Amino acid sequence: MSQRSIDLDALMAQVRERIREKREKGIYGPDVEALLRVPLPGGRRIFSDDLEDPLASLAEALDEEVEYDPRSRKPIVGPLITFARRAIISLTRWWMGAILERQERINRLLAAAYDYEGQMAPRFGARLESLERWREHQSAANLHSEHFQARFGGEERVIRKQSEAFVDLFKGRERVLDLGSGRGIFLQLLKDKGIGGYGVDLDPRMVAHCRAKGFEVHEAEALTHLRQVEAGSVDGLYARHLAEHILPGELVEILRACRRALAPGAPLVFVTPNPRTLTVGAHTFWLDPQHLRPIPPELFKFYLEVEGFIDVDVRTFEPSEKRLREDVPEGAIRENVKLLNETLFGDRDYAVIGRAPSG
Amino acid sequence: MRIHQFHPVLAQGDAMSNHVFALRKKIRHWGFESFAYAIEAKPGVADVRSYRRLFRDVQPDDLLIVHFSMGSEVVDQLIKIPARRVLVYHNITPPEFFSGINPHAAAFARLGLRQLARIAPEFELGIGVSEFNRRALQAAGYEETTRVPILMDWDHFAVPPSDTVLARWRGVRTVLLFVGRISPNKRQDDLVRMLAYYRRCIDPEAHLVLVGAFRDQPQYHARLVALIERLGLGGAVAFAGGVDDASLLAYYQAASVFVSLSEHEGFGVPLLEAMRFRLPVVAYDAAAIGETVGSAGVLLRERDLAEAAEAAALVTERADLRERLIAAGEKRVSDFDPDRVAERMRQVLGL
Repeated sequence: MSQRSIDLDALMAQVRERIREKREKGIYGPDVEALLRVPLPGGRRIFSDDLEDPLASLAEALDEEVEYDPRSRKPIVGPLITFARRAIISLTRWWMGAILERQERINRLLAAAYDYEGQMAPRFGARLESLERWREHQSAANLHSEHFQARFGGEERVIRKQSEAFVDLFKGRERVLDLGSGRGIFLQLLKDKGIGGYGVDLDPRMVAHCRAKGFEVHEAEALTHLRQVEAGSVDGLYARHLAEHILPGELVEILRACRRALAPGAPLVFVTPNPRTLTVGAHTFWLDPQHLRPIPPELFKFYLEVEGFIDVDVRTFEPSEKRLREDVPEGAIRENVKLLNETLFGDRDYAVIGRAPSG
Repeated sequence: MRIHQFHPVLAQGDAMSNHVFALRKKIRHWGFESFAYAIEAKPGVADVRSYRRLFRDVQPDDLLIVHFSMGSEVVDQLIKIPARRVLVYHNITPPEFFSGINPHAAAFARLGLRQLARIAPEFELGIGVSEFNRRALQAAGYEETTRVPILMDWDHFAVPPSDTVLARWRGVRTVLLFVGRISPNKRQDDLVRMLAYYRRCIDPEAHLVLVGAFRDQPQYHARLVALIERLGLGGAVAFAGGVDDASLLAYYQAASVFVSLSEHEGFGVPLLEAMRFRLPVVAYDAAAIGETVGSAGVLLRERDLAEAAEAAALVTERADLRERLIAAGEKRVSDFDPDRVAERMRQVLGL
């Protein structure tokens, strides 16, 4: 095939760039936007537009009168047809009325079951609210993160030291994404090494903090952001202490979205507490009430492999400070102490590292 | 064995009818006797028999092909005729599009969809002209389904393009073209809004030409005219109505770009025609449109009128992009080569 195929993504990026320029120059302003929203005059909206805001449209439809003009405009036979229509309407009026009354009741009940006049109806709304509350309790989403950070949050120096070990993986990259960028420690490290990067975080205060430092950070959900970026446009991904804050299903979705967003060969690194060390899995992991569940390293490795990442590897670090003394006589006792040290006081964090497959 | 085809209405210049006649031509070429039947044959259509003759003509070892794009009481009778029966589904526009605009059309579409499901057990095979349609058949309860695209008959266009049309549009820099019945599902209203953006932000002289009959949807047409007035686009939008092949050819030649914002197409013949006549296509990806265009046009995934307009503008402005789209379009048309489609049809019908 001689002709080059058409790169739709690149084309649409140009299209959006043109729109952005026109917005900046004021050519595409509110006046043009208003033109694009002018409704079709002379009656109801097109149904697919109604579906965009079904609750408002439902309220409108419920109050709508049905009009019917029985007059026929046909020459000669017209008056006869009109007379016949009027006669049928008057003969069937009570029967039609009864049917319509029942339909009206069904419509009102259905509308009330979901939403009525902008108010969530008790049953539907209450269920939804209790679900939301459950999720909030489950993930302690209401915890004031600054207070929490002050007491339990990692020390900046420690985090910096941990993250430093991974910066070199991203050498020469131009657009590395730090998922859950927090205080921007990793972004700073990237900048120091001349690597292009940006962050995404849910917490508006963290986002503001980073922006004040001059970093590009978006306030968004990880998954939403990964799905929005152009395919292959991110050439590295770092996510420190993110995976333990989400449920396994969402983690898999995020990995899948990473696969799409990452350019071929781009590295990705997830850092999370190492539950293989019992003092972590049984104690320190749970110091953060927003932690949902620990992820064993073997399982995380498996997730990455299943989602098609290559060269997947696990690296543990952060040895525990407290350890049993190993300077006991050589032999069974020292072996046992070593085993106990590994099991109880092993490395506290681990990173699972992989690369996006090429092509 | 003889092969009979039925569709309630057969008319000139209608994609559905063209498909019936093109198929009849092929079947006759293969050496079978073949006839087309309709309840109503519109003026100008020759060699169509009245549907009543079906009850006499069809023998038990004959093949009856029912083309389905609307409900019809006659179909309930036809399925009682002993013969091999195959249904070709051209899709029914979902009633939601007519709801609140044309209640009669909405009710009629609803009846059609119910009938499609009800008669499913009576057919040995359901053929969708697109994968989108095939899936609809499957969902309606058809056990055996397959896809055979529309059979195009390009011989129709072996006419010189209309001079009148060419002369009218000569010298107009930007002509945005859409071909299709004026109907709410085709969203000509959004094309009009898009033109408002185009004239304000890209080319103040741009015109929109809407080719397609508007008698079926008088309410929608009247409201479109009102919308054009309200947006101050009087004179910039031309309703060409239903046109003959020479005029259609001229419109494809005179236009700068084919733009579709349609939300529902069972196949989208004009998309293919545009590509055949070297007109680049920009289309919102809905229903069967994506699979017909393939990678040979600019498929819009978001429903954003400004993006649609700017994409159309890029195609008209950038010669290299335009050439690539035209080349890709011609290649795409060859995927629907009539001989190959006919061969596939012959195979699935077991002829």
